[in-house]
Amino acid sequence: VTQIGSSPATVFSDAARLGTKMLTGGQLLHGLRDVDVQIATTPKDLVWSQDKVSLFHYRPLAEKRVNVPLLICYGLVGRWTMTDLQEDRSLVRNLLHLGLDLYVVDWGNPSRADRYLTLDDYILGYLDGCVAEIARRAGVAKVNLLGVCEGGVFTTAFAALEPERVNTLTLTITPIDFHADTVEDRPGHGFINIWARSLSPEDVDRLIDANGNLPGEFMGAIFNQMSPMRSLLKYNLDLLDIMDDEQRLMNWLRMEKWIADRPDHPGEAAKQWMKDLYQQNKLVRNEWELDARRVDLGNIRMPVLNVYAKDDHIIPPATSRALASKVGTSDYQELALAGGHIGVFVGARSQTLFAPAVVSFVEQHDPPRA
Amino acid sequence: MTSLDYSKAFTDFWTAQGQALMKAQEQAGTALAEGMQAVTSGKLPMWPDMPADLSAGSADLARASKSIVELWTAATAVFGKLATTVPAMPGGDGIVEATVHRMVDPRSWVRGTGEMDEVLARMAQGPRFADLWEAAVMLEAWLQAGRRFTEQLAGRSGAGSKALDAKEALALWTETANQQLLETQRSERFLQTQAEMIRATTALRTAQQELVEHFGKQYGFPTRTELDDVHRTVTEIRRELRAMRRERQVPVPVARPTGSVKPLRMQRSTRPSNARQEGKRP
Repeated sequence: VTQIGSSPATVFSDAARLGTKMLTGGQLLHGLRDVDVQIATTPKDLVWSQDKVSLFHYRPLAEKRVNVPLLICYGLVGRWTMTDLQEDRSLVRNLLHLGLDLYVVDWGNPSRADRYLTLDDYILGYLDGCVAEIARRAGVAKVNLLGVCEGGVFTTAFAALEPERVNTLTLTITPIDFHADTVEDRPGHGFINIWARSLSPEDVDRLIDANGNLPGEFMGAIFNQMSPMRSLLKYNLDLLDIMDDEQRLMNWLRMEKWIADRPDHPGEAAKQWMKDLYQQNKLVRNEWELDARRVDLGNIRMPVLNVYAKDDHIIPPATSRALASKVGTSDYQELALAGGHIGVFVGARSQTLFAPAVVSFVEQHDPPRA
Repeated sequence: MTSLDYSKAFTDFWTAQGQALMKAQEQAGTALAEGMQAVTSGKLPMWPDMPADLSAGSADLARASKSIVELWTAATAVFGKLATTVPAMPGGDGIVEATVHRMVDPRSWVRGTGEMDEVLARMAQGPRFADLWEAAVMLEAWLQAGRRFTEQLAGRSGAGSKALDAKEALALWTETANQQLLETQRSERFLQTQAEMIRATTALRTAQQELVEHFGKQYGFPTRTELDDVHRTVTEIRRELRAMRRERQVPVPVARPTGSVKPLRMQRSTRPSNARQEGKRP
């Protein structure tokens, strides 16, 4: 029979250790102010804005090695600040240190007043505007795009509809085939895909119509549902493990800050995201239409680098890798990184692999200055 | 909440958690005992991988429960101390304060598995469906988790197996329960139940809005429908404006890329990274 149980001495000693941890952690927390928990601190300048959308240009941190600028495009679920979480875990800083000319688009905080914005508006309106502005500032016809998750779908669609304006396309943890979660069918992976298919299109319409937008809080709950016990223990036992270590505690708080910043997803755009893509899987079937233009992945003729996370439970790898057989270029490469959805950006191993791979990729395809 | 409230809430929470854990596992034990009776009486077949000697598992279960409750009890004391310092924590509504409050406010701890129904309830500003939902689907999941936990303990039986301390037992329970909950969440029954909840909450919210709309019209207040109409118009005007601006833009001169494609070269980062910890999932 397995022996289980702690002696009174062990329990007492555990309690004493916990007490010390709590004391140290309490002192650390006591000395902290909100201003101490900063994310996305890499210096940048606002260079263009339209409605609630802002385009930022990063100040260089090294001599420029690549002529064509690169635009980071996050989605509407969460915010781009994940790419610049903290100084030693920052895709943005790593790219700048390697000599990229870097921009990022912030979609702002959509409110109920933005419920009628569609993905057509975001992709062929705002993203188009950002690309045009970057091209104008840099004096180039094409820019490099780096899309993340839903933002990867934006850049994929843009590249398919406006291939003459995209020099290279880098995708990160991006779903292309929204039904490919069934390929591996790993427990705990692809829950959003399963959940979305469990609803009818009318359910989605009613959910959005009743709320105006898809509340960020709602998506947060769905994400938490993907690791139920972790979510339950997060603010007690997990935190207890790290609270006496200042560096780890600060890392934890920065991540909390990012998680807490979950904007609402504009309603009509959310309907398209859920119904056209998660339910009807139109993108990989080349059936998706934006502004009455069909998104044909075969029109993606520029070089493509597709980065996915091997343990991504939100975007299972097969849903990303489906792009390989759909693009109209033979210059298609994949980079598989260890870890999960967010580990791609903040994981220790990613810091030395991800940014160098991106810079190497865009540098190879960088046209010389005219 | 005052510091005294926090302390009390803390103690209550930890105690309630311990009791809930005990209760879940007692129920699992009862289910096991009943199952054993049914099996031995020939009323039910044995389920796959069922340990032959369930009495050993039941004893393990009781010891594990006791150990885990002891761990929770020990933690109660130290968290209670922290709770008394809460009022002295930095003010404001930022992330530090939010974290501190999550740590010490049991109400935010229980958001884990029941979070979705709370969010839906808030969105509908109506009644909670947690009881119904949990009673219908989640209770079974917890019982299954308890049963699996017992099986795991029984599976560890045997000469030379390392004794589990309370933390290890808790880790095993967490992993087992997580696995069971994930499986439950993928089940047709769970998904249908959740879809029903979404339908119910959205129907409630829609009905509430219609009621407010009715009174709004009666008293001449602007209604949601009218505001939506304005927002739709503004969005359409902005769309047209964007299109007009785009048409007026001067085309950017084209710089043609030259040279052939080189193979992908992997480069190392030029700056050392002192990152040591993998990031957490949202």
